[in-house]
Amino acid sequence: MRLLASLALQNLGRRRARSLLLIAAVAIGSSVVFTGATLMRSIDDSMAVGFTRLGADMMVVPEGALTNITAALLTVEPTDLVLDADALDKAHLASVGRAAPQKVVRAEHSGVGSHHDLVDLIGFDPVRDFTVQPWLKEKLNRGLRAGDVILGAGRDAPLGSQLLIFGKPHIVYGKLGRTGVGTHERGVFMSFETLAALAGSMPQQGGARPAVLAPGKVTGFLVELAPGATTLQARFAVLSAVKGAKVVTGDSSLSGIRQGLAALLQGILALMILMFASMAVMVSVLFSAIVTERRGELGLLKAIGARRSQMVGMMVAEAVIATGVGGVLGVTLGVLVMRLYERSLVYYLENIGVPFVWLDLSRTVAVAAAAIVLASAIGALGALYPAWRASGRDAYDLVRGEG
Amino acid sequence: MLACRQLSKRYLTERGVVAAVAGIDLDVPVGRFAAIIGRSGSGKSTLMAMIGGLSRPSAGTVAVGGTDVWGLSENALAAFRNEKIGYVFQFASLLPTLRLIDNVALPAMLGGRRASAETYTRAAGLLERMGLGGYLEAYPSEISAGEQRRAAIARALINDPALLLADEPTSDLDEQTEIEIMDELLAVNREIGTTLILVTHNLALAEQAEQIVHIANGAIV
Ligand SMILES: Nc1ncnc2c1ncn2[C@@H]1O[C@H](COP(=O)(O)OP(=O)(O)O)[C@@H](O)[C@H]1O
Ligand SMILES: [Mg+2]
Repeated sequence: MRLLASLALQNLGRRRARSLLLIAAVAIGSSVVFTGATLMRSIDDSMAVGFTRLGADMMVVPEGALTNITAALLTVEPTDLVLDADALDKAHLASVGRAAPQKVVRAEHSGVGSHHDLVDLIGFDPVRDFTVQPWLKEKLNRGLRAGDVILGAGRDAPLGSQLLIFGKPHIVYGKLGRTGVGTHERGVFMSFETLAALAGSMPQQGGARPAVLAPGKVTGFLVELAPGATTLQARFAVLSAVKGAKVVTGDSSLSGIRQGLAALLQGILALMILMFASMAVMVSVLFSAIVTERRGELGLLKAIGARRSQMVGMMVAEAVIATGVGGVLGVTLGVLVMRLYERSLVYYLENIGVPFVWLDLSRTVAVAAAAIVLASAIGALGALYPAWRASGRDAYDLVRGEG
Repeated sequence: MLACRQLSKRYLTERGVVAAVAGIDLDVPVGRFAAIIGRSGSGKSTLMAMIGGLSRPSAGTVAVGGTDVWGLSENALAAFRNEKIGYVFQFASLLPTLRLIDNVALPAMLGGRRASAETYTRAAGLLERMGLGGYLEAYPSEISAGEQRRAAIARALINDPALLLADEPTSDLDEQTEIEIMDELLAVNREIGTTLILVTHNLALAEQAEQIVHIANGAIV
């Protein structure tokens, strides 16, 4: 009813300082909740998958590789250890579906990036690959040829432009979308053929070229399970068939990082729960006081025939308006804060080995909507009980200021 | 119109049980003007509140127009208060954040039976009748106590109540204002035929009533 709604609004306006305080408190609470949830979802998303986000279920690498757990291990880490390129094919494993071999060479002084930058040159088999090409965001209007390179999202050069690697000209064929997977972001991808052609131009390191450049050798395989096969089956099959190999699955490879992050996430979560609980308590204490203070008015409304639901509705509307506005402000605040600290946050996370990709817009909007709805719900719940209790009392007791 | 049987109200206080109203039987026929008199604390307000559906009796019954008031469900009781009863309190009882016209229209809007435009025309008419035609848009704080009481009477009348209950509606007003307001109430009783029950200290005024109910210690004497 319009008059009751305007009563609710006017009541808020009558106690402006208190209303503003309530709105501010809810705004702070919901901005923490919104920011926390967005970060958690983003981090969780970015982490949960690692190379599985690229479409692989597991990775087969030489035993002894990847002993240090960093973000880079989410794809094949460059290493001096190698596997035979046909190791998996020869074994004919039923549990292995597709397997994409990769050669990874971490090169200095390549001419890509600034002088001392380490650049991962990643060779793949264009026919068997399923983790690089699906991520192509833009590409030339033709097939991949020898001499073409694909750039990770972290690198920038116009499509079709020339890129010198160790002095040899290459064409930028395509660019990958953001994956949040370190090697992918900074990598320079090319076919095995192109990588092999580069081998001669590479300076020798300690007298020898990287072992992986030798024909028939790879750094590892990204593996997709056969339909119906389990990770465990595939793991055992691979380990028994391929000597000197080690199997990395999404979960186990990430456990180190996960543990490191668990504290952070749990901290955020605890803060959110605390924030929520205190918001709910605060709102309900505040509204107990507001209801008590407004007994006379409620009694009058009841005396002239307001139904219980109308009285409760008015009080709840008042609370929902205040906390809803607080929620909207909180989300706005959260967006501003994340904008402000975006760079340092992403930098920090990537430093501790967490690949980070922001939640996409639609899901961010969903989180924002949830935060606002939650804030309003806290208002509704906080006001509901005191309003319900008061509205059940005798009108006469209420107008006399009792109850 | 009104029939109270063995109507009682006990309050539990720190000093023990207070019998504010103790076993009152009261009948008031349709269209009558009845006055309730008695000393302060004798139980008049408590009786009125039980009749008007504002305070649940500890024992006994109230029937208004044949309806057992306290046997009604919560929502039916709200509708009863809204439609059948016009209550004028002893104190300022307008909602301070609403204009006079909104205050008067509110009971009709709560009932939700009439279209808003019609309600507002009627509310304006009632305020005019009470001599407040110039204050439709004013807020309660902008008019005098006497004018506020008149507006409260207009509000009590908006839904054409069967029973108009006025609990010492003029006790805090000056004599001249009291006479004017009483005239309005009596006019409603005479012209519209609304049954009027008035609690008053003013014996001269009570003399004009067709029925005088004298209460002492919660009982009729
Ligand atoms: N809510 C209450 N709690 C305790 N005692 C009450 C309450 N309301 C009224 N009383 C007592 O009941 C008696 C009658 O009060 P009331 O009906 O207000 O008298 P009157 O209107 O005739 O002055 C008084 O003694 C008063 O103190
Ligand atoms: Mg009294």
